[in-house]
Amino acid sequence: MTQKITIDPVTRVEGHGRVTIHLDEYGQVKDSFFHIVEFRGFERFIQGHPYWEAPVLVQRLCGICPVSHHLAAAKAIDQLVGIDPENLSPTATLLRRLMHFGQMFQSHALHFFYLASPDLLFGVDAPAEKRNVVAVAEANRDLAIKGITMRKFGQEIIKAVAGKKIHGILAVPGGVHKTFSQEERDYFLDGKNIESIDTMIEWSMGMIDFIKSYHEANHKFLDEFASFPSGHLGMVRSDGAMEMYHGKLRAVDFEGNCTLDDISTDEYQEYFLEAVAQWSYMKFPYLKNLGRDKGWNRVGPLARINVCDYIPTPLAEKARQDFIAFTGKKVNNSTMFSHWARLIEILHSAEIMREILLDPELFGNDLVRKGEPRYKGIGIIEAPRGTLTHHYEVDEKGMITKCNLIVSTTHNNDAMNNAVKWVANNVISRKGHVTDGMLNQVEVAIRAYDPCLSCATQALGKMPLKAELYSHKGELIDERTRN
Amino acid sequence: MKEQETEDIKILLLAIGNSGRGDDGLGWKLGDLIAESGFKEVSVEYRYQLQVEDAQFITHYDAVIFSDATEQQNEKGFSFSKCIPANTYYYSSHRQSPETVLYLSNELYGKFPEAWILAISGYNWELGEGLSEHAEQNLNKAFFALQGILESHIRTTVPETVE
Repeated sequence: MTQKITIDPVTRVEGHGRVTIHLDEYGQVKDSFFHIVEFRGFERFIQGHPYWEAPVLVQRLCGICPVSHHLAAAKAIDQLVGIDPENLSPTATLLRRLMHFGQMFQSHALHFFYLASPDLLFGVDAPAEKRNVVAVAEANRDLAIKGITMRKFGQEIIKAVAGKKIHGILAVPGGVHKTFSQEERDYFLDGKNIESIDTMIEWSMGMIDFIKSYHEANHKFLDEFASFPSGHLGMVRSDGAMEMYHGKLRAVDFEGNCTLDDISTDEYQEYFLEAVAQWSYMKFPYLKNLGRDKGWNRVGPLARINVCDYIPTPLAEKARQDFIAFTGKKVNNSTMFSHWARLIEILHSAEIMREILLDPELFGNDLVRKGEPRYKGIGIIEAPRGTLTHHYEVDEKGMITKCNLIVSTTHNNDAMNNAVKWVANNVISRKGHVTDGMLNQVEVAIRAYDPCLSCATQALGKMPLKAELYSHKGELIDERTRN
Repeated sequence: MKEQETEDIKILLLAIGNSGRGDDGLGWKLGDLIAESGFKEVSVEYRYQLQVEDAQFITHYDAVIFSDATEQQNEKGFSFSKCIPANTYYYSSHRQSPETVLYLSNELYGKFPEAWILAISGYNWELGEGLSEHAEQNLNKAFFALQGILESHIRTTVPETVE
């Protein structure tokens, strides 16, 4: 008899997903899929709206990463008013970058402290009631408070430049609408009202020490769990440094060979295609030249560490060198090292925020620039979860006629499916039964990619966890629900 | 019930939802209405979802009202009930419950305010701005009731539930 195990929705990821694992009559995994069932046609919804509304409207895509969508859309809309990233004023660029790194910092802090830490602190086989942030708060109060304080710091940065923690509006076509004062700057430096940026850097370094110690004690798990070869995609500066806001796109294969050689973000359509699958609403992007099977890439912290030549802040670069020395690999293909990479990026974000806060150009008044209007705009940034693309085309009245979004989680679609397959084959297959801990390992593998599944519609009463077991005839033979 | 002087009390309306997803904007819309009503004791903040850090944020207030849309239908179109701290958890980090946030306030910071949940029934959760007609009616009922509570009760006493 063939059995189908369904986990719906996946827990502690941002939004709805569903995993089905198909077993044959011997209990061996026949196939597995990570389904995305939430994406609801935002690209179509936004058509007919004036282009200047895009940076505001796209924030409604998600409650976790509205800043990233706001900035990617803003970069695209800049081009519609004739302004490329190089022509944005220095003050506008700094303010957008400050907002971007505030978002990176708070988003990574959320993921590590609230989502990943229960798995690391309590183990993947811990009972369900242990694998959550409430248990972290009870078991390690200091860690929980640090996590909250770090996330709050990033949100305060966003609030300072955009006016609000969510739905703040900083970017306007061709620039920003708000200046930044020295008083606002000092709030983050002096440590009088909130913990200072120097404290954020210190705590970030402490978290890297934590993950290094954790690796020493659990190296087999981190090295091997959901490890598989893949390509890696990310943004770099012209000198090969890690870049998050604007640069060139670079990809390498699982051994580090270059597969995409620092192309302009404006040219992405010439190099990428998107495949579709009957069982998922989410597309599967891949490099044209390598084809559907070999051309897909991971994106996000691990990929960014893998593609860059160096990190342009000293403490994070030191942490990257330790990371490489520790693993002894040019390219790291271990899913669980995403957590380590994410912590390095937290440190990098804190260092960058400090640099920007100390830059006198931050207080300038040259905020908005204009050029010759165009009909097409493409904005690509490195969002916390990975490469994020916004592409808009408009008519002569400025109304949006086409919108194409490739969100980070879409790039990671194949990677997450491979991670699920690894767990299915190595943990569940031939065991004859499925435990709660086994199911959680599926979720652990997916969670490492910090997926964001267009989540923002959860009202009270939604979001149960449901596991269903079907016979090969499609009959429900078992189910498990967590509420 | 708890009695408190008007001058001392700081009330927070924490409006949860997403105005880009139909009736999921009910919580925010209620926040807008209360903000426009000019209750000087009431601060309004907006959230897509409650997060763990809200446990720290609410410690600055004496009383908190969580307003959100709900799929659950109610004869009155809304429900207003006391929020009791509980160490329950949601599987999704982006959706901590009001009860969990309250519990974490006490666990991490050693204090928490009195709290209530105002849940307004909604029907449509698809992409797009604007409330359904029925949800709009429920919003008006909830707003009317909350105004009454704020004007005549919360300055002295707050009922455990309004049904």
